[in-house]
Amino acid sequence: MREVAVVGVGMHPFGKFLDKSLSDLARVAVWNALQDASVPAKDIQLAYVGNSIGGLITGQEGIRAQTILGPSGFGGIPMVNVENACASASTAFRGVWLEIASGLYDVGLALGVEKMFLEDRARTISALISVSQIELSKLGMQFVGESAMRCRRYMRRYGGTKEDLALVAVKNSYNGSLNPYAFHRKPYSLEEVLNSPLIAEPLHLYMTSSIADGAAAAVLCAKDALSRYDAKRSISIAGCALKSGRFRLSDPLDTEVDSTITLTANIAYEQAGMEPKDIDVAEVHDAMSPIELISCEDLGFCKKGEGVRYLKEGRTKITGDIPVNVSGGLCARGHPVGATGIAQLAEIVWQLRGEAGPRQVAGAKVGMCEDSGGVLVDGDNAAFTNIILKK
Amino acid sequence: MEWRQGVGKAAEQKHQLVLPGIIHEATGPDDTSYLIGGKCEACGRVFFPKCFVCRICMNEGTMREVPLSKIGAIDTFTVVHVAPLGFKAPYVQAYVDLPEGPRVFSLITGCDPLGSDLREGAEVELVIGKIREDENGRDLIGYMFRPTGR
Repeated sequence: MREVAVVGVGMHPFGKFLDKSLSDLARVAVWNALQDASVPAKDIQLAYVGNSIGGLITGQEGIRAQTILGPSGFGGIPMVNVENACASASTAFRGVWLEIASGLYDVGLALGVEKMFLEDRARTISALISVSQIELSKLGMQFVGESAMRCRRYMRRYGGTKEDLALVAVKNSYNGSLNPYAFHRKPYSLEEVLNSPLIAEPLHLYMTSSIADGAAAAVLCAKDALSRYDAKRSISIAGCALKSGRFRLSDPLDTEVDSTITLTANIAYEQAGMEPKDIDVAEVHDAMSPIELISCEDLGFCKKGEGVRYLKEGRTKITGDIPVNVSGGLCARGHPVGATGIAQLAEIVWQLRGEAGPRQVAGAKVGMCEDSGGVLVDGDNAAFTNIILKK
Repeated sequence: MEWRQGVGKAAEQKHQLVLPGIIHEATGPDDTSYLIGGKCEACGRVFFPKCFVCRICMNEGTMREVPLSKIGAIDTFTVVHVAPLGFKAPYVQAYVDLPEGPRVFSLITGCDPLGSDLREGAEVELVIGKIREDENGRDLIGYMFRPTGR
């Protein structure tokens, strides 16, 4: 396997853009990434496009990669359509990484893009619900409620109050207020979070990610081909893992069974030759912000049951020892499902280069991105990725 | 045009199951309704919904259908205040632990969603009934659980 680097990242800001199509959103992210990489578009040898619900939203099934990238000038190269719930973009990124690591290609493009705002809001909600296994959604499972029940299992085992859970949203909304690509840029107080509408006990509106339009892209290049470009700002891919949800003998929140987040991270740690203490900054998949506490434990940043204390001590703040979701995470940045994974990677690339402006983590050299999405009837998520980048 | 006749027949029915293969509906007074599980004869583990290969052993030919208990206990629950299409908030959703092992997602009926009488560990019993109506106003039948008061 050859070593592979990220040479450029770019985004279309996340938000509400009723007049923009998937292709319009993608074009901005792709050309920002190419410009950032100083890589001519004609050098791109292949592209993977992550998107989750665009078929139900636009009616365009089967060939969204080709139809989204065509208007940006791309054709003739290998293109792969990737659909993998909230891990669609990170799975697309992994595909490009593998193609280059294998030696088949030198330079490739990974794109994540999602269009969620329509005049017809019900269509978006129906599309989102379809990302849970149909045995659950047809019986009335509401996905915020599913996370709410995970939070309740966590509180049953380890204690913690609703106020403790809300503090994650307070931290991340502040981080998001510093991010020009974030949808929601208002820092919330604890009172504002707890006074926002109740969605499913203990989760209030400001503790949940919002639907959004957006796109994020990354240009990847083999390290042995880097001399063609400006290699000084390149960031190495140290680990890149993908797993699917599985049947578990018991729930990791009730027992000592490893979660699939832990098993996926273990692969990435092993590939990178690293441990949790080596991570300087992390983007974790907080589709509902308190899930960040559980994920920090599962990723090994702190011990089981210590997530709340760790948060309250400020360890996950921008100035802490493992800052988590410095971008604002999914709740502040917005969660265009199939774009989120590469938005996380873009944030980590900016952090490791020292280009993150007011939310810069001092001296960050290694960063992690974790995604988990979809809900299976077994109670596990469906798709998991874990990617470690290093300076 | 056999498939068209099939569609027509389904449309005439008063109700239909929200999902095929998960519920046995009582066929008469001597029969009872239950959830259909799958049991692995090799390792003894029970799955819901049933699967065709054991997800632990991964060998062929070890699975058989079994009826699941109608009494379980609430693992955990939440009150949903924003409902998906076709459902009406507030309602209670939960995971129910069945004695055979499966932890089953279910709506909870027969209790006040805004009342405080529901608790983790409470005993609940299976109810087969209308989950919601489809776009044509036809009843969609599924399963729910309701508190027994114990």
